[in-house]
Amino acid sequence: MRKFMTTTAALTAVMGLATAAQAQDGYFAGETIDVIVPFGQGGATFVSAKFLEPYFEKHLPGNPEINVIDRPGGGSILGANWFEQNAESDGTTILFTTSSTANPFVLGQEGVEYRLADYRVAYSHPFSAVAYTSPSTGVTSAENIREADEPLIYGGIAAAASDLPGLLSFEVLDLDVRTVLGFNGRGPVRLAFEQGELNFDYQFTPVYLTQVVPSVEAGTAVPLWTGGAMEDGVLKGRDPIAPELPSVYEVHEMLTGEAPSGIEWEAFQGVASVTYAYGLTGYMHPDTPQEVLDIFAETVAAINSDPEFQAESQEVTNGARLNAGPDTEAAVKAALMPSAEVRDYLRNLLSEKYGVNF
Amino acid sequence: MIDNALVALDALFDPMRLAALFAGMMVGMVFGMLPGLGGVAAVSILLPFIYYMDDYSGLAMLLGAVSVVYTSDTITSVLLGAPGSPASAPTAIEGHALAKQGQAARALGVGFLASMVGGLVGAAVLFFAIPIAGPIVLLLSTPELFMFSLVGLFFASSMIGKDLAKGLGAACLGLLLGVVGPAQAAADFRFTFGQVYLLDGFSLTIVALGLFGVAEVISMLAAGGGISHQRMEVAQWGEGFRDFWRSKWLVLRASFIGVLGGFVPAVGASASTWVAYGHAIRSTKDKSKFGKGEIRGVAASEGANNATVISDLVPTLLFSVPGGPAAAIFLGALFSFGYYPGPRMITQNPDLMFLIVWSVALTSVVGAGLCFLIAPTLAKLTRIPFAIIAAPLVLIMVIGAYQSTSTIGDVFMLFSLGALGWLMKHGGWPRAPALVGFVLSGPMEQYFWLSNQIHGWSWLGRPGVLLIASVIVIPLLLSLVRWLRTRHTPGEEGPGDEDAPPPDSNRSIALVLAALALVMFAYALWETFTFNPTSRLMPALAIVPGLPLALWLFVRGIREYENEFARDGGELSVLVVLVTYAVAVWAIGLSIPTVALIAWMLLARAKMRLWTSLVYGAVVFGIVRLLFDVLRGDAPVGVFLPIS
Repeated sequence: MRKFMTTTAALTAVMGLATAAQAQDGYFAGETIDVIVPFGQGGATFVSAKFLEPYFEKHLPGNPEINVIDRPGGGSILGANWFEQNAESDGTTILFTTSSTANPFVLGQEGVEYRLADYRVAYSHPFSAVAYTSPSTGVTSAENIREADEPLIYGGIAAAASDLPGLLSFEVLDLDVRTVLGFNGRGPVRLAFEQGELNFDYQFTPVYLTQVVPSVEAGTAVPLWTGGAMEDGVLKGRDPIAPELPSVYEVHEMLTGEAPSGIEWEAFQGVASVTYAYGLTGYMHPDTPQEVLDIFAETVAAINSDPEFQAESQEVTNGARLNAGPDTEAAVKAALMPSAEVRDYLRNLLSEKYGVNF
Repeated sequence: MIDNALVALDALFDPMRLAALFAGMMVGMVFGMLPGLGGVAAVSILLPFIYYMDDYSGLAMLLGAVSVVYTSDTITSVLLGAPGSPASAPTAIEGHALAKQGQAARALGVGFLASMVGGLVGAAVLFFAIPIAGPIVLLLSTPELFMFSLVGLFFASSMIGKDLAKGLGAACLGLLLGVVGPAQAAADFRFTFGQVYLLDGFSLTIVALGLFGVAEVISMLAAGGGISHQRMEVAQWGEGFRDFWRSKWLVLRASFIGVLGGFVPAVGASASTWVAYGHAIRSTKDKSKFGKGEIRGVAASEGANNATVISDLVPTLLFSVPGGPAAAIFLGALFSFGYYPGPRMITQNPDLMFLIVWSVALTSVVGAGLCFLIAPTLAKLTRIPFAIIAAPLVLIMVIGAYQSTSTIGDVFMLFSLGALGWLMKHGGWPRAPALVGFVLSGPMEQYFWLSNQIHGWSWLGRPGVLLIASVIVIPLLLSLVRWLRTRHTPGEEGPGDEDAPPPDSNRSIALVLAALALVMFAYALWETFTFNPTSRLMPALAIVPGLPLALWLFVRGIREYENEFARDGGELSVLVVLVTYAVAVWAIGLSIPTVALIAWMLLARAKMRLWTSLVYGAVVFGIVRLLFDVLRGDAPVGVFLPIS
């Protein structure tokens, strides 16, 4: 029934009948906003874009129609390149993507034509990840992760894509983890964990809440830590999505008694903040007027306080809120332009430890 | 449990939901028939509409579309010889050969009935196995999955045909196409030539459409006349029913092969269809008709592909891991309705689970019935000059290919692979092993490395692995024993491929193809040295036998050379037109070359009268533009002339 009401709301919005009072009355009236997702239709990014669609239609001034379009290929590079060539500069084309698009840009991979760091950041949706292990390792919490009874085996897709922050967290925490790359997606990885082939895994929050928590309750998985949340410009806070778990930063403190520092930490913080804290980001053309970005910031605030959104996001992401505004944009841009040192460190690590060719 | 099942049935019989189910079914039928557009396209076109419905109606609509695609694609495969979807390529081989002999009704009847049985078996497995399928899926770890792909390859060996060198060469070529793109074991991108387009490797749809569809269209366009030179009577279903009844156990076995294929995430319908087809070949005593129109081949592959697409839903619902691309979209739809498939789903939403079972079962039966109704009308189309059908057919294949990345690369790839398929067809290289090699090289490499990295070599001793290995070893031992006893009496020949008999192959084209393959393998060998050692194994598996084979075929080709280009000159000119079309679309956008292509086909090839062709051409062009808009929102824009 609730879904039916959402649908009705979206329908009314599309038909332009809604009369929500907004600051800039009707800025997008009669317009269509294309949200480009550079991944396939079943993927998490596409689903999230569809999840947000009705709320943007409802709260953007003028109630524009939102079109979520998938453009998969080249590990998201093709879709982002298309955006580079075709995006409108009036805020009606949005690239909605993850670190899988950001990492090749940061690392300067071949084939990247998009200038991600020049893009404007309209909004972002946190997409945190939780590390968990199998009870067979004898590990009961983050504190004794280094005392595992059996070698830790982590499963992943590819080093330079969304696995990167997880791999960097092993460097920060100085963990001896055997990484098995080459899975098709995080779903098959989870399946291999349940089959007992792997004993250590990261899953993004929505999946963690619906798929791994039942295993935790059944005693077949032990949650360890989260990527953390931004606090005063440092990725040290607890993730509101799983506040009972420490962040990587805290785990480092627990294990060594010191706050993490050095190049490993800088690299992890940069990559992890684009992956987790600003996990799913809506980018706009570099020439988009500030007015449009302000409108999106206000809209995001309105969505965050919409009780319907709160109820639904409680169910899906334990109540994660959208981010927007100058702070968000500054943080994302900082992460997209790492220092030359960090960049070299990343390229070195990837090519020497994981055989990535640049 | 029965209570829930009845509640769900009652819920489905709400008129609104039934209407949604059947609306979805109609869309699925149409998309199943359009070559290259299948379940994925049907589901994505329906996706925006389901959000205006209640959850059960929306999901029923998607299920209606998904579960009928592999029934209606039989029509295209049999009548046109272009696979309606990649997983019905075996049907295109056997069914179309039957249709050319005037036995279209027989092939279609068996195909529809086998599809229906496959769908029902899939639904029954969902119904009964939901409580117990979880452990089965969990038993299939990476080593078992590797063994399954090996079984698939073993079965593929039965499709190699009489010319051993060409058959093996084709399989190696398929394996080589399959390793293009990201390596599984290390971060290498193989054979991408710096093209972003190739970073994900080739799309299965484009490979299947190119190798079979385009090549078929070229031949029929050049030959002129209708698809069938004889009357294709599709009225007498009796023989089809009798054939179906004779192969009922084969259909059931094929359905269970399909079900198992569905349990394995990401292996999908194409692989299990080929395995079922291979099983049909192995279990048939007189193999001589395979490739030339064997009804058992149709029965097995149609039973399997329908069962797979439905049992794909098992991992989707139990573990939230989609079994195939259409299931992935269905999973997304479930998420949007607030259902989170996973271990809790069965206890939390039993009604929904049974709604899914009923929707699938109902669509399988009604869909097959509907196919019986419309097939006779569609069969009449095969009497009219093929060029009239070819215009929309080629364009729909372009649209189908364009679904993979929506870049011009898709169009180029379609016609390049079409050219390759055409060369293979006339050079006497069987195309089935090439497609099987392509389909299986990804999973084989992936599961081999995962198994080895996780377990070392100890996985070889796992009970599941040994059990599956016995599927390969026992038949091998049996045939060895038989061979020892009979000392190879003649008459036990392998099946022929439709294009295998050497007298049919064009010697000039065979030489060109051998040279091309030689260059490809040699280049691949050279590039392989730049990879990480772990990324070399799979290409090596293709190159080590492929290079010497290509060399041998090249030498043989020179020895046997005769200038026979003229024999297939007509077809060559059609191929040139199609390639020119692709280049023109890249240069000046979709519209102008498309209009020119339609005009050429209707006026020059079909010799239609001016005013009829104007009207018909306008309709075709309108539908093509509409399909581009509905499916993607934009058509390719020219580089030199920026219009679409």
